[in-house]
Amino acid sequence: MRALLALAALGACSLPDGDYFGHVPAGDELDPRVFRWCNFGEPDYLDPALASSTASSPLISTLFDALTTYGLDGNPVPSLATTWEISDDLRTYTFHLRGDARWTTGRPVTAYDVAYTAIRVADAMTASPNADNLAPIKGVMPALARRVFVLRHDVAPYRAGAVVELATDAEPPDDPNRRAASRALAVRDLGAAPEAAYATVPAGGEVTLVMTSGGRATLPTPAGGGPWAYVHYEHADVDVLGWVPERELDGEPAAGVAFAIRRVARADQPDPLEPGSGSGSDPEPPRPVVTAHGRDLVRSPDALGVRVPDARTIVFETSQPTPFFLPLTDNRALRTTPIEAVSRSPRHWTDPDRIVTSGPMHLAAWRPRDAIELVRSPTYWDPAAVRVERIRVLSVDDQAAATNLYFTGACDATTANVIPSTYLPVLNGEQRGRPYKDYQVSPNLGVYFAWVNTKRLTNRHLRRALALAIDRTQIPRFTHGGEIPTAQLTPGTPIAQLAPADLAACGVARDAPGVALVMTAGELCYVPPPGLDVDLAAAKRELALARAEMGDAFPKTLDYRYNAGAEAHKQIAEYLQAAWGRIGLDVTLSAQDFNSLLADTRAGTYDIARLGNQGNVADTESEFLPLFRCGSPDNRGQYCNPEFERLMDEAKPMRDRRARNAKLREAERVMIEDAPVIPLYVYTLKTLIKPYVRDYGNNVINQPPLWRAWIDKR
Amino acid sequence: MIRFIVRRLLASIVVVFVVASASFLLLHAAPGGPFDTAERRSAVVQRAMEDRYGLNDSLGAQYARELAHLARGDLGRSIKRDLSVNDMIARSAPVSALVGALGLLAAIGLGLVMGVIAAWRRNSRTDYALMGLALVGISIPSFVLGPLLIAELSLRLGWLPPARVDGPAGYVLPAITLGMLYLGTIARLTRGGMIEALGQDYVRTARAKGLPERTVVWKHALRLGVQPVVTYLGPATAALISGSFVVEKIFQIPGLGAAFVDSITEHDYPVLTGVFVFYAVLLVGLNLVVDLAYGLLDPRVREGRA
Repeated sequence: MRALLALAALGACSLPDGDYFGHVPAGDELDPRVFRWCNFGEPDYLDPALASSTASSPLISTLFDALTTYGLDGNPVPSLATTWEISDDLRTYTFHLRGDARWTTGRPVTAYDVAYTAIRVADAMTASPNADNLAPIKGVMPALARRVFVLRHDVAPYRAGAVVELATDAEPPDDPNRRAASRALAVRDLGAAPEAAYATVPAGGEVTLVMTSGGRATLPTPAGGGPWAYVHYEHADVDVLGWVPERELDGEPAAGVAFAIRRVARADQPDPLEPGSGSGSDPEPPRPVVTAHGRDLVRSPDALGVRVPDARTIVFETSQPTPFFLPLTDNRALRTTPIEAVSRSPRHWTDPDRIVTSGPMHLAAWRPRDAIELVRSPTYWDPAAVRVERIRVLSVDDQAAATNLYFTGACDATTANVIPSTYLPVLNGEQRGRPYKDYQVSPNLGVYFAWVNTKRLTNRHLRRALALAIDRTQIPRFTHGGEIPTAQLTPGTPIAQLAPADLAACGVARDAPGVALVMTAGELCYVPPPGLDVDLAAAKRELALARAEMGDAFPKTLDYRYNAGAEAHKQIAEYLQAAWGRIGLDVTLSAQDFNSLLADTRAGTYDIARLGNQGNVADTESEFLPLFRCGSPDNRGQYCNPEFERLMDEAKPMRDRRARNAKLREAERVMIEDAPVIPLYVYTLKTLIKPYVRDYGNNVINQPPLWRAWIDKR
Repeated sequence: MIRFIVRRLLASIVVVFVVASASFLLLHAAPGGPFDTAERRSAVVQRAMEDRYGLNDSLGAQYARELAHLARGDLGRSIKRDLSVNDMIARSAPVSALVGALGLLAAIGLGLVMGVIAAWRRNSRTDYALMGLALVGISIPSFVLGPLLIAELSLRLGWLPPARVDGPAGYVLPAITLGMLYLGTIARLTRGGMIEALGQDYVRTARAKGLPERTVVWKHALRLGVQPVVTYLGPATAALISGSFVVEKIFQIPGLGAAFVDSITEHDYPVLTGVFVFYAVLLVGLNLVVDLAYGLLDPRVREGRA
C-alpha cells in the first residue's frame, strides 16, 4: 500500500501549475441541481440508532431531523425544536417542537417520535452503539443493563410505580417482560383495526414487551379501550415490532420467577415516579432488599428521564447537572426514527423502498460500495434551506482513488481526510512554493497521543521523563498535514489563531502558547493546563530520579506499539524512539493490526501505545477527561488517581460554567502531571473543495451539514 | 461415472465442512472482536451489542448456529451492517467475474498474438522485445501498474476515469491491469508451444506444399501451439472469478475481493466464513469439472485406477 501511495503521487507531480488541484469546469458546464460528494468508505447503517461509521454521519443528519442540528460551524442550531429551556440546576431540558415538521409519509413529527427514538436507543435489544450519548439521561444506563424495573403492584415496603433495581450483581434470572397470548396476535399500528395487521404472532408465541401506551413518554392510549402494548416478536426469519391491545397478552412466562430487588438510589431516579416522594432535600430513605416476582415487575420507559407532556413538548431529566446535554441533541442517538417503519422491519427499514425520513433530503437509491443518491425531501419544513435537487454520495474506500476522482472532477468536494499522505506536500505548497486554493486545513476536535500503561510504568518520574523528552514541533514536518503540536490533552484552536471575542472569553493573551477550546463562541472557553512539553534537562532529571527510586526494577527496554498500515504512525514511532534514545532510554517498536492494538491496550498488555481520541461535543468533561477515570473501559492507561477523581466529582454538581471549567482544569492538570498519556498533536481536517461549491466546509467536529451545500454557477 | 460424481460430491461436502469449521475457529481465535473500537464506549453498551449477535454465547453454541445456517444454504448475515451474505456474494461476485473475464480476454487476445509473432521471428529483435514486454507484465505487480496507468491515462491525459465503473470506460484500466497478470504468462506459453509446433513434420509438409506462411502459422501451427495455454486457463479462470482485491481497491470496483478484505479488518465473522465457504465451493466445483474433463479424456481416471 505504501508503494501504491507513492506511485499514485506520480500523477500529482506532473500536475499543471494552476491555482486549483485538478479540473475546474467553467460555469456553464456546471449542473447546479446536483452536488457530487466523495465520501470515504461504505456507511454501515443509515439507521441513526445503529450507525457507528464516520461515513454514515453526514448522511444521517441529512436524512433525519433532530431537536437541534449542525450549523455550518458544527454548533447546534434550532431545528425540530424552535425553543428550549434549561433549568437553573442544568438537570431539566424542555424542548418545544415546531408544528410544521412532517415525515415523508405526511404524518407530523411529534415529541412522541423524539421520545420513541430515545426509548429505542436505550433498549438493550436495539444494541445501539450510540447509546452512550444518552448516558446523562436518568435511567438510561441501568435500563441498558436491563437491571431496573417499575413495580406493577405493591411489594412492601415499596409501592406500585416505584422504580427498583436488581439487588445482586448476578444476571437477571429471567426477562419479566416476556409475554404470551393464548390466541393469535394481530401486530399493527397503534389503534389500528386487527385487519390492518402487518404481522401475526401465532397462538402461544412469545413476545417481549417494549412499552405501553399512555406512559410518561409513550403515545396516548386510543379512546375507548384499555392500554396497548408495543411488543417485539422475533422468531426464525420474522423480526417485527408493533402494537396489540394489552389485554390480549394473557400469558406471563416469567410471572413466578423470583427477583431480589430494592428501590433505586435517588440520584438516578426519575423523581415524579416515586409515589409520595417529597422534595429532593429529604434524607435518603432506607432501601431494603425484598423479593418480587416476574408478575410484579416490568422494564418500562417510565423509568427513563424522558417525558412528553404534549405532542409538541419533550422534557429530558439528567441525573447530574449536564452542561453538555444540548449539543447531544443533534447527535445520531436523538435523530428521529419513524416508529411505523422501524416496527415493520426493525433492521432493514432504511432500504430505499421502505425508508421514511424527516430531514432535508430523502434516500432515493443505495448501491452498496458504489453510491448513495439523496433527493430533496418533499415534506421538509424548510425547503429553502436545500438549494440542490440531488446529492450524489460516492462511496470510495481508497484515499488515492478519492483524491483522483476529485482531481478529474468526478466529485465536487471530498469528505475530510481522504488525501494520501504523499499528496500533502504537493497540496500544501511545500513542493511548488504555494498551496492549491481548493485545499483546506482546519483543526479537528481530536488529539493524537500515546497511552502510557501506568500498571507497568508505575514510576511517575519515568512517565514524566517520557513526556518531557518529545519535541512535538518536529512531527508535522514529516506528517505534512498541518497538525498542531501539543502537550495538552484537551485539543482546541491555537491561541494565536483565536478570534478577538474568543480570546477575551478564554481570558488569555494573544501570545500565550498552546490551544484553547471554544465552547460557546465569544462566551465560554476552556483553556487546558500546559502539559509536559519538551525540556531535555528536566527529562534527564526525572529519569535520574526514576533510576534512583526504582533501582534494579528500572526497565532495560520499553516497547512502543502502533498500528501498521499508515506510514505516519511508523514515522512518529521512529521519531519517538530516537527522542527517547537521546535521554538514554531504550525503546523497541512493534507494529500490530489495529484490532490487536485495541484489544491489547484495553487488556493492558503493553508499555506505551499510540492511539487518539475524537470529541463529538466541544466539552472536555464529556469527551476527553472521562478517559482517565478509575475503572473506565476507555482508560487504557489504567490510570487511577484519587485526587483526579475528587476534582472531577466536585465539578459534577457545579452550575457556574466558569467555576466548573476551573475545577476541570485543575483535574486535567493533576492528570497530565502524572503523565498517563503523552499528547502529541491536535488532528486536522484536510478537505478538497472545488471553488464553485458554497456552504460546505470543515467544522471542528467534522459534521458538515451536507444538505446546505450548493453549486454556484456565477 | 455416476458413482465417481457421487463420490466426489460427498467428498466436497466434507471439504466445505472442514473449511467452514477451520475458518470459524481461526477467526474466533484471532485477537479482537467485531465491536472493538477506538471510540469511547461503556461496558454496558458493548455488552448489549455483543449479546444482540450472540457473541457472548459459548463458542460451541455459536458454532452449532453457524453450521445450522450453512446446512440450509444460508451463509448468514453480516453483524456490521444490514446485509445477508448470500445477497452480498450474489451482487459482488459477478462484478469481480466480469472485470476478471475482460482482463483475461484481453490477455488471451494480445498474449496469443505476441507469442505467435515471437515464435515465428524466434531470436530476432522482435522476439526479444515482445518477450521482454511479457517479462515486464509478469513482474510488475498490479499495485504499481494500476497507479501508473491512472497517473498517465487518467490524471494527465484525461482519457479514462481514474476509478469506479460508472460506464464501459471504467472497465478499461482495471481490465488492463488485471490482464497484465495473465498476459506475460500466456505470451510465453504460446511462444513455447508455437516453437515446438513450427518444428513439427506436418508444418514442414504444409510449407513444402507452398501454402502461404500466414496460413501455415495461424491455421496449422497455432492449433497445436495453443494447447499449453488451454491448460493454463483452468487455474486462471478460478483466480479471476474470486477477484483481485488489489485491483478492486485501486479502481473502486464493488467486487467480492474488496468486500472480503474489509470484512477481515471489521472482524465480521459471518461474512468471512460465508466467503470462505463460497470460495471453497467454487474451487471444489471447478476441480470437479476439471476432473470430469480428465475422466472423459482418460478412462483410467474415470475408473479410479490411475
